[in-house]
Amino acid sequence: MRSLKQYLYISAGLLALASCKPEIQTAPVTKGSADFTRYIAVGNSLTAGFADGGLYLEGQMNSYPSIIAKQMQQAGGGEFTQPLFNADQSNGSGYLKLSGFTATGTPITTQVNTNLAVRGQATIPGFGNVILYTKYAGEINNYGVPGIKLQQITYAPYGNLNGYFERLLPGNAGTNNTTYLDFVTAKPFTFFTNWLGNNDALGYATAGGASDALTDKDQFSGLYNLTIAKLTASGAKGAVATIPDVTSIPYFNTVTIDAILAAVKAANPSVTTLYVNARQTATPPAASYQARPATAADLVVLTFDTKKIGQPVSTPFGNLPYGLTQFTPIENQYVLDANEATLVKDYVTSYNTTIKAAAAAKGLAVFDAYTFLNNLKANGMIVDGVNVNSNYISGGIFSLDGVHLTPRGYAIVANEFIKAINKQYGSTIPLASVSAYNGVKFP
Amino acid sequence: MKKLLLLLMWCSPVSAFAQGFQVNLGGQKQIAMGHTGTGLLQDGASVFFNPGAVAMLPSNSVQAGISPLWFKSTFNPTGSNAQYSVKNRVATPFNAYAIWGPKSAAWKLGLGVYTPFGGLTDWGHEWTGRYALESLDLKAIFIQPTISVKLADFLSIGAGFVYNHASVDLQRAIPLADANGNPGQARLNGTGKGYGWNAGVFFKTESGVNVGVSYRSKVKTNIDKGDAIFTVPSSLQTSFPQPNTFSSGIPLPATLSLGLGYPVSKKWLVAFDANLVGWSSYKALAFDYATNTTNLQDTYSPRNYKNAYALRAGAEYKGIEKVALRFGGGYASTAVRDGYVTPEVPDANRWYATAGVGAKLTKQLDLDFSFEYEHLYKRTQTNIETQLSGTFQSNVYIPGISLTYHW
Repeated sequence: MRSLKQYLYISAGLLALASCKPEIQTAPVTKGSADFTRYIAVGNSLTAGFADGGLYLEGQMNSYPSIIAKQMQQAGGGEFTQPLFNADQSNGSGYLKLSGFTATGTPITTQVNTNLAVRGQATIPGFGNVILYTKYAGEINNYGVPGIKLQQITYAPYGNLNGYFERLLPGNAGTNNTTYLDFVTAKPFTFFTNWLGNNDALGYATAGGASDALTDKDQFSGLYNLTIAKLTASGAKGAVATIPDVTSIPYFNTVTIDAILAAVKAANPSVTTLYVNARQTATPPAASYQARPATAADLVVLTFDTKKIGQPVSTPFGNLPYGLTQFTPIENQYVLDANEATLVKDYVTSYNTTIKAAAAAKGLAVFDAYTFLNNLKANGMIVDGVNVNSNYISGGIFSLDGVHLTPRGYAIVANEFIKAINKQYGSTIPLASVSAYNGVKFP
Repeated sequence: MKKLLLLLMWCSPVSAFAQGFQVNLGGQKQIAMGHTGTGLLQDGASVFFNPGAVAMLPSNSVQAGISPLWFKSTFNPTGSNAQYSVKNRVATPFNAYAIWGPKSAAWKLGLGVYTPFGGLTDWGHEWTGRYALESLDLKAIFIQPTISVKLADFLSIGAGFVYNHASVDLQRAIPLADANGNPGQARLNGTGKGYGWNAGVFFKTESGVNVGVSYRSKVKTNIDKGDAIFTVPSSLQTSFPQPNTFSSGIPLPATLSLGLGYPVSKKWLVAFDANLVGWSSYKALAFDYATNTTNLQDTYSPRNYKNAYALRAGAEYKGIEKVALRFGGGYASTAVRDGYVTPEVPDANRWYATAGVGAKLTKQLDLDFSFEYEHLYKRTQTNIETQLSGTFQSNVYIPGISLTYHW
């Protein structure tokens, strides 16, 4: 049986051959005309990795700048350090989590408030109380500060008014006087992303147009150009993003007038109309408000408690049901009414014109978040076998606050940034695998 | 009253049966000769290659062989330098035949048990396409009683009835993460059956060239009451009711073969085969769940396959005592149109080379080895249904061994 032994050797050889897997020759990763040695991310909550109504470690780990940086490292990018909350304070500011659904399918969210990074509260004269978070004192590449407006980046006392900024600064609460723009540009960098400006429109919108103001268009333009001038002053290249149409986010498209009305009618068929306290005109600046019948163009905020509808409200004409008469309209702060929405859109369009012009002037890459998210709202998209869209929870992209993104959403955004950067600078930063990132977590 | 619509997108479980899913490992002697066999009289594998040739076989025999198959595939997503490869799992196509007939009679009976279709791809739970597919293990076992009659010294015909026992096990991730961030899982696991037939004609021409024509019919295989197992976060379980079952149908395609065999000399035998595979019958893959919900709908995934062909050639050299050396090769076209390539069997046009050794252990006992290497052409695709976009590169390694006893 000597020959059989030989055959066994042959077979063993064949098995060894069988263990080799095909390799696909991929294009070499190059940095093109950009230099990713020190990448900094400038922006607000979206940049910080804010999600589910809070800033917490898991969201930070999945921020779009961290995803971009990981991919950039293959193209000569350096280390990317984020001001992370530490492990035993990993829940940071606290956040919402999904705890279940009601019998009718309504999501139930609960606030996580264990293992927070809250160190106290400071009273700032003339402003009010600011929640203080555990200070962070290391290297920073991700400068995302939740809540910051472009309007505030040159305001020296701002570090005392925003707890998320305060935690990054060395001084005690109340003593800081470094502007955000100076802070982020203090150390040399070779590449930046800038996604500032959302809150200049979003703050007004999420407040239903009631308690915040839109940043003046000229002021926006001035500050944006100043920012870009400073970010590019030492020759750094970068990418900027436009501001999404705030009406494309689930925060304004989940609780709708039609849905509320349908539910009211189911209980009380005689009801035909909801009333909202609405802006009379879409022209700036100040305008008067008056109750009128609601239409589908009036956008109700996600946080509106629909149980208020129909509750008795005391009026000069006696107790009347909330939301169902012109004397008891749904209050301004719960509705971005049609005129307010038109106004916000007009400002966002103007801001985006500024952003694109500034980027063009300096040859920066542009991620057009406005167009991207509007397309997503209209058509949805399929990535790696996953259907995603702008729907609340089920869409997979927006987190439980209806404004910020899920890890999956941030991964998609990171890839859009990378595509824009590659296109502008001839680099070949590899895309991240979107399917490795989750949407909303279900209990 | 705050009623929010929760539409959980649950895209359909898809599977694909490419030409790669047709495995053609009918017999070790024939594999080694480049899968030729329609115009040959090698052994009981004629039941598979050409039932018309069975009556011409010189002896009665029983034989069994196995061809462990390594399907090696790597995926590189578009715009990325990541590479994902299938796990090292081995499919085990096999073949077994029995041929019997009185020496003096003009007829012979045959029985074949073989695995003409099957696929095993396992990309694991972590790869980028996990929401399109994690793994597919699909087996079809054909059992074929056959009768063949010699009408003249130069002409015989034969036909067989086919019973197919099929099993499928398909897994994919569902994009619904639980509290720990683990995605949901879908597993479709079931068995089914189907029926078909095959027939063939075998000529011996005066020039010495043998000609065979055979046809294997489509075998429509139905899987009924397979287990549809969904593992999803508990808050979503009512949307994916358990227990649940599914039914599905697979039209395993017909194959028309023309083969030539020519004993050039006492030592040399050469053979050619051409196959036309009727993959165009495979229009769509549909899954019908016994219990549907708004989030769990029946699925219909267009496949729109096209007919495919294969050209094969092989030779056998018997110049060494008690040893036969065999080699061959061929080319097979893909059945999968652009836009429909999936990770189940990332099909592409392919060429392959084969070799083998046959040893006469005794006068009545043959031991045959075969080896096949298939190289699939690199294929860069964006799937219409899943938008999974990237480049597949696949190779197949198939060693094989069989034992034949004849008298």
